[in-house]
Amino acid sequence: MKENKIKGAMQRIASFNLTYFSSIVSKPAICMGIKMRLLLAEDERELSNALVAILKHNHYSVDTVYDGEDALDYGLTENYDGIILDIMMPKKDGLEVLSQLRKHSITVPVLMLTAKSEVDDRIMGLDAGADDYLTKPFSTGELLARIRAMTRRKDEFTPNTLQCGNICLSRDNFELSGAESSFRLANKEFQMMEMLMNNVNRLVSTEQFMERIWGYDTETEINVVWVYISYLRKKLASLDANFEIRVVRGVGYRLEECICIENCSTNL
Amino acid sequence: MHSLYQAEYMFYKDKLALLQDTQEMFLASVGELHQNYISKGLREPIEHCKARIKCARSAKEKLKRKGLPITLDAALCQIYDVLGIRVVCTFINDVYLMRNWVADLPGISIVKEKDYIKSPKPNGYRSYHMIVEVTMQNETVFAEIQIRTLAMDCWASLEHQLKYKQEVRYQEMVVDELKRCADELASTDMNLQAIRELIKLDIGKPDNFFGSKG
Repeated sequence: MKENKIKGAMQRIASFNLTYFSSIVSKPAICMGIKMRLLLAEDERELSNALVAILKHNHYSVDTVYDGEDALDYGLTENYDGIILDIMMPKKDGLEVLSQLRKHSITVPVLMLTAKSEVDDRIMGLDAGADDYLTKPFSTGELLARIRAMTRRKDEFTPNTLQCGNICLSRDNFELSGAESSFRLANKEFQMMEMLMNNVNRLVSTEQFMERIWGYDTETEINVVWVYISYLRKKLASLDANFEIRVVRGVGYRLEECICIENCSTNL
Repeated sequence: MHSLYQAEYMFYKDKLALLQDTQEMFLASVGELHQNYISKGLREPIEHCKARIKCARSAKEKLKRKGLPITLDAALCQIYDVLGIRVVCTFINDVYLMRNWVADLPGISIVKEKDYIKSPKPNGYRSYHMIVEVTMQNETVFAEIQIRTLAMDCWASLEHQLKYKQEVRYQEMVVDELKRCADELASTDMNLQAIRELIKLDIGKPDNFFGSKG
């Protein structure tokens, strides 16, 4: 047992070099200034800390949990681009967390980690909806490559321009444009608009904006969401958008078609 | 008047005085407005205001470019910016406030308006343009009034430099970057306006914004 741990640690240290190398040749975890968000569920603190350091060094934004119950709670928020899930965890094991997530239609890519290299675990994990697995001990280079592969699959489905009514939002250059004019949005404004446009007619809660854009452990006042919403509203109005951001008091915001059709062109 | 200065404006003959009077009339109105705001202890919407009479050389160049006869008559009646006035404001809403103020000035009638803030030029240029006809001592003069924010003014002065430089390295990249900056400044101008309104709201109704949730 002890031997195994030391072996694992040695391997982790040895593969640091590989980490640097792979971060040069591969697609970075950062796209137009937005960090990919990962959830790491691993009960072994030492390993968890080491992984966080490596992932952060590679420009991922990471939340950590140490048992299955927290993993499920965090995973259900849908705030992640990928989840790294250990199988052997207290309270709920990784397989159970995974099947619960999939039951709730959460399709975020999941990478399973297992101490055992048993075939059964891998089969069960993949059948429960895991996208990939890695057996411990592993090299960080391989872990990073697998995270990239896993999140890349998701990218394929994402169009580079979001459209809603007469308004377009470009993921390439953060441009919010109408027929006659365009604005270049700042990073957080862009993320907020993207969330709204991905959820037309659906409510996005103030907390979801906070967690997704500012992060869980932010000290930023929650009213900042309100301020950013008013920035976006001004721009949408100036572009004569036929969609507007409506408030649901005390809950959140929703992108909806304008009721007033005075200024809105319907000929698209 | 300086002799060189006079030589440059000889082209306008006896109409020069009329142009100068109109220019001074406008600047005096702006000065009066300024005093008005100060005396009421209100925030001023105007950062600064400039006026110029087009020098004869560029007036003639413009006539030539437009295929018009190079005469004083054409300069005064067929091009509209021999007298140019630029009003630079703090916030976007101030631009429209000033537009309404100009429209209400006595002796001024609007010939044409173009809102390049709502519909920017392809290069990213933003300003509110008005061509007005000013009646002074039974004579009329055209003037072009440009109203814009500080950010737009800053951008325009850089773009102007590019236009008159013969050869700029990385021309294409510079043009793209200027367009990007224009769209970023426009975004910031909007945000400043939004923040300003939040502050006003906060002063008007305490606890309504920063004090309460949501």
